[in-house]
Amino acid sequence: MNVKFNNRDPVYIQVIQYFKEQIAKGIFEPGQEIPSRRELANRLKINPNTAQRAYKEMEEQGLIYTEGNLPSRITKDEQVLKMVREELILEAVSTFIHSVRSINVPLEEVLNLVEKEYEKE
Amino acid sequence: MNRFLKLVNFEFTRFWKLYLVLIGVTILFQVVGIIVESQMYLSRANKAIYEELVSVSDFISQYGKMSFYQFASTGWFIGTMMFCAATLLIYVFFIWYRDWFGKNTFSYRLLVLPTARLNIYLAKATTILLFVLGLLAVQLVLLPVESKVLQWLVPDEFRHDLSIEEMTNLYYLELLYPSAFIDFILYYGTGMAAVCVVFTAILFERSYRLKGIFMGIFYVAASLFIVIAPLLVNEFLLDNYFFENELFYMVIGAGLLVWAAAIWLGNYLLNRKIRV
Amino acid sequence: MIEVKDVTKKFGRKTVLKGVNFTAEKGKITCLIGINGVGKTTVMKAIMNLTPIDGGEILINGEKIHKGSYEKITFIPDTITMLPQMKIKEAFTFMADFYDSWNQKRAEELLEFFRLKETDRISELSKGNTAKVNLILGLALDVDYVLMDEPFSGIDIFSREQIAEVFTSHLIEDRGVIITTHEINDIEHLIDKAVLLDNGVVLKEFDTEEMRENEGKSVIDVMREVYRG
Repeated sequence: MNVKFNNRDPVYIQVIQYFKEQIAKGIFEPGQEIPSRRELANRLKINPNTAQRAYKEMEEQGLIYTEGNLPSRITKDEQVLKMVREELILEAVSTFIHSVRSINVPLEEVLNLVEKEYEKE
Repeated sequence: MNRFLKLVNFEFTRFWKLYLVLIGVTILFQVVGIIVESQMYLSRANKAIYEELVSVSDFISQYGKMSFYQFASTGWFIGTMMFCAATLLIYVFFIWYRDWFGKNTFSYRLLVLPTARLNIYLAKATTILLFVLGLLAVQLVLLPVESKVLQWLVPDEFRHDLSIEEMTNLYYLELLYPSAFIDFILYYGTGMAAVCVVFTAILFERSYRLKGIFMGIFYVAASLFIVIAPLLVNEFLLDNYFFENELFYMVIGAGLLVWAAAIWLGNYLLNRKIRV
Repeated sequence: MIEVKDVTKKFGRKTVLKGVNFTAEKGKITCLIGINGVGKTTVMKAIMNLTPIDGGEILINGEKIHKGSYEKITFIPDTITMLPQMKIKEAFTFMADFYDSWNQKRAEELLEFFRLKETDRISELSKGNTAKVNLILGLALDVDYVLMDEPFSGIDIFSREQIAEVFTSHLIEDRGVIITTHEINDIEHLIDKAVLLDNGVVLKEFDTEEMRENEGKSVIDVMREVYRG
C-alpha cells in the first residue's frame, strides 16, 4: 500500500478516503479481510492511533464490519457500496464542474466532449 | 541491597584487569628485588672476605646482616608500594570521571538505574576499599615468600630472619598492618572517610562544574577543619583544658561527623544537583 | 501522563527555560519542536532528573521522579548509554541484571530487525548502528514512557527508515512517546501532538489531527505562523 499523505488533511480522513477509493475501484472487494490496526499502521507508515481512529470511523460509517474477535472486513452491503461509488463520482464531477464552469460553454457541448473522451479511453 | 551488590560487582570488574597488573607488578618487582638485593649483598660480602680479606665478623659489624629490614628500605619495595598507592589514589578520582569523559557517557545510564543513587556512591567507595584490602592481602602473603627467598639465597651466618610480626612493624608498614584491631579500624576508617570526602568534592564539581571546583576545595578544607577543631579550640580558646584521651575521642567524633556529612552531602548532590 | 509545569532552568547567567508547560499522554506521540539550542534536550534531561531544574515541577503519573520511576520511563539520548567496550550481548545482560522491566525476547527481536549481532562491539559500530542499539536498550524495556532525543539526526536514510518503522509498530502502542526533532518533515504525519518551543517557553501545544481537521493546517503551517508572528 503506497499512500502519499498530505499534511493538511487529517491523516485518518485520508486513510478513509483511500479505502473508499479502493472499494469504488473494486480493488477492495466486498467481504474482503482487511489488515489489523497494527499492520495497517506499519504498511501505511502511520501512527497506530491514527489507524485506530480510521477504523473506528469506517466502522461507524458502515464501510467495514467486525464479527466478534475475527479480523475486520469490507462491508457487503450493496447500499453502502453504491453510496461510496456515487460519492467518489460526485466528488470528481464536482471538481470537474468547478473547473469547467468558469469557461463559458453550454452544458450540452460539455457533455458531448465528456462522452467523446470517455469513449476514447 | 541486591542492586548495590551488583553495582559493586560491576565497578570491581571494570577495574579488574588494571588491578591484576598492579598485583603482578608488585609481585614481580618485589621478588626480583629481593633476589637482586641478596645477590648484591653476597657479592659485596664475597669481595670483602675473599679479596680484601676482611673477617666474617668484621664484615657483619660493618655492613650488618642481610634481612628484610634492609630490603624494606630499598626502591624495589618502596617503589611497588608507592606505585600501587598512587594508582589507587588516581582511581579514587577516575572511578567517577571515567563515566563522563571521552567516548564514555555511561553516566547517562548509571543515573537512571532503578536504584537509590546513593548506592552508586557507596558501591564505588566499597570497591576502593576492596581494592585496598586486596592489595594488603597480597603484600601480606608476599612477606613470608620474600623471607623464604632470603633463606634460600643467603647463608645463615649472614642472615637475620624476621617474623611476620616483626616485618609488619617496620616503618610505615606499621600503619598498614596495625597490631591492634582498634588501630586497624581507626586507620582504615579515617582512610574511608577521606575517600568519601574526596568523592563528595568530586560530586560538587560534577554538579556545579567550574564553580564546583572551588566549592569542592572549600568543602575539603572545611571538613579538615572540623576534624581538628577540638584540638584548636582546646589549645587556643580553652587553654588546654581537656585531657589527651578526651581530645582523642572528640577528634574521632568530629571525624565520624565529617564522614556522615560527606555521605549525606554526596547523596543530596547525586539526587538534586548532578548533571550528565 | 507526564506533566511539565512551569519549569525554569538557568545555565550560569543564561535562563534557558523560562516557564515551560506541557503534557505528554500515554498512548500518544508528542513531539517537542524547536531550533537547535532552544532547550529540547534540556527538558528531556530534566524529566529524567539527569539535570536539575531551578523552578517548577515535573510529574510522572502524578508523582515526582524516584528510583522506581526508572522502570516506567526511559530516555534514549543521542549518545550511547553503555560502556563502549561492551559487546551488545553484555549490554543486554547488564540491562537484564538491573531492570525488572527488561524484555530480553523483545531485545532479541529488535536486534534481528536491525540486523545486528550480539557479538558486535559497541565501539566498533557505525553511528547509525549505535543509534539503533540505543533504541533497543530503550524499547526493550516494558516502560510506560519513552523519551527519544533527535532519533533521526545524523543518521543515514536507510537507518532512518528502519527507525521510523518503530513508530508505526506495536512497540509504540500504549506507550507515551516524547521525541524531539528539528526536522519535522519526515514525521509530521506520525505525531499526535506538537509542542512548539521558542525562547524558553512553549508557544503552542496542539493535537495535529485536530489542527488539520479544524483549521486545515499542517504542523509546518502552524510553525510558520507561530515562529514568524
